[in-house]
Amino acid sequence: MESRILRPTLAIYSGIFLLFLYGPMIVLAILSFQSADGGPQFPIREWSTYWYQHLLGLAETSRVSQLPVGDSLIRSIILAFMTTVVSTILGVMSAEAFRTKFKGSGPAFYLIILGMMVPGVLVGLGMALLSNTLGISRAWFGTSFVLHVVYTYPFAFLVLLAIFNRFDRTVEEASMSLGVSPAQTFRRVTFPIIFPGVLSAMLFSFTLSYDEFSRTLFTAGRELTLPLAIYGTFSVEIYPNLFAFGVLTTLFSFTLLVIYGLLMKRFTSKASRFKGQEEG
Amino acid sequence: MLHDLELISVGKTYPDGTVAVSDFDLQVEKGEFVAFLGPSGCGKSTTLRMIAGFEDITNGELMMMGHNMTHVPPEKRPTSMIFQNYALFPHMSVRDNVAFGLDIKGTPKAERDRKVDRILDMFDLDAYADRKADKLSGGQRQRIALARGLVVEPEILLLDEPLGALDANLRRIIQNELKLLQRELGITFIFVTHAQSEALGLSDRVVVMSNGVVEQISPPRELYRRPATPFVADFIGSNAVIEGTPLGAGAAGMGRVDTPLGVIEGVGTGSEKLAAIPAEAFRIAPLNTPGELHLAGTVSHRQLVGAVGHLRVRLANDQEIAVEVHADRPEVKALVPGTPLTLGVDPQAVTLIHA
Repeated sequence: MESRILRPTLAIYSGIFLLFLYGPMIVLAILSFQSADGGPQFPIREWSTYWYQHLLGLAETSRVSQLPVGDSLIRSIILAFMTTVVSTILGVMSAEAFRTKFKGSGPAFYLIILGMMVPGVLVGLGMALLSNTLGISRAWFGTSFVLHVVYTYPFAFLVLLAIFNRFDRTVEEASMSLGVSPAQTFRRVTFPIIFPGVLSAMLFSFTLSYDEFSRTLFTAGRELTLPLAIYGTFSVEIYPNLFAFGVLTTLFSFTLLVIYGLLMKRFTSKASRFKGQEEG
Repeated sequence: MLHDLELISVGKTYPDGTVAVSDFDLQVEKGEFVAFLGPSGCGKSTTLRMIAGFEDITNGELMMMGHNMTHVPPEKRPTSMIFQNYALFPHMSVRDNVAFGLDIKGTPKAERDRKVDRILDMFDLDAYADRKADKLSGGQRQRIALARGLVVEPEILLLDEPLGALDANLRRIIQNELKLLQRELGITFIFVTHAQSEALGLSDRVVVMSNGVVEQISPPRELYRRPATPFVADFIGSNAVIEGTPLGAGAAGMGRVDTPLGVIEGVGTGSEKLAAIPAEAFRIAPLNTPGELHLAGTVSHRQLVGAVGHLRVRLANDQEIAVEVHADRPEVKALVPGTPLTLGVDPQAVTLIHA
């Protein structure tokens, strides 16, 4: 009765929602196939992969110079990777610590969470001033890196806190009661059980760091990260090569997501596929 | 003489001053089956966890086979613990769960496989060895937990309400298996439960606890026959507890208490204020033997459960007591509520206890 109206309505609503969500990306993707003499707007003069070739330096140089993203892309990936490793390790360790109440655990919790709450531009500016005062030169692998960790670590922490919240402590006790040391118990019992949470924390850290802008703006120094480099090209003129690049990075993020999904799936079905597997 | 397990006035006080357990004294011999029994929150699980090493011992000493274990971490104690929720490793197969302890210890592969195969066979788990542990039924998971805990050959097996999560039938089956297993292995079992039937049916001795204190340590039968404290008299079985003033010693090993219902003689020293009479010690047709205690009352309630007749009898002092009789006896039919009767009790069945 009710669902005869409600269900289609909700379906249409969801469809429109998705359209708005992905609309900008779809437009961007379509425009990236603009012809060489076309601009960054409709109509499409002729379908071509010219701007992809241009981006990768395969097209003859034209009036438009190549998008200067090569180095910054590598920088951003390295930075995101470093941030992921450090934030996830910190997240696991501090979430483990917060399983038991300790002196000052309340304030410590809010101080950690504050890292993702404070406005990025202000933190970036503060960091720039601080490094100037202390005479530390600003660099993406130094000052920016610290801010990226401060920003992504609370996310990793919260994800793992939620995981540990549902974690059954008796499993660890069972392991220790079998004569297994706390370190071995963490490695062989705790970590495998929380691993899906670790993966999620890593995904969060990576994506947040990869396209971080405001905190990086004042702290990266001379060598730019990818979001800064892209922003820099806006000040000249926008050509469809930027759209082609957008499509490629989206594909890259999508690949990460697929890897994440596969790892999750592989992990959660691992034990059932364990056929008396032996090691050593 | 070295005890397998010895607790010397073991206690636990939390940092905020709350006392969880105090002055726990117990000696357990090799191969004994000891149950900790008490209502929830009485400290029985805390004591077990102190023995396992998961809770700090703040007072007293814990000895195992002559070694002081008070501050030894759990993994270095010769104990293995079985948890109520089984605590199986969800990311491992049944076989890997069972092999885990040996695996970490670096037991050679051949020996490990032999031991694991034997114990899987013993618990009828070979068919499930390669399944994921948390996909199995409660009874099977309990067996896996037992197999996992026993394969490392502990000196003492600690069981924390291991049957609590099973349904009644399965509980009875595993209960029997546990008893057989313990006899076969000859290792010490410490079993925590709040279910009287489990404690009394399985163990050689029962430790009754309340409010963090040991009330009584006795073989199961003794708990029924000779409760040592008012708590035990109330908690185990159903005792009529009648209060009075001590009258001093009577015949050898007997004491007397002056109560509103008359002088009651029972086993004790005569300095006790309370007389406890088990519900099943009453005779509804007194034998009139010399010394037999007679109590007059009125039946207030009658319920027949199978072969047992449960009566509530209101005594002259308005106290209502429980009386258990064989339901087949012809007199029981006539005992409808309101019927006056005289109950007979052999003084040997009466226990005098301190208030």
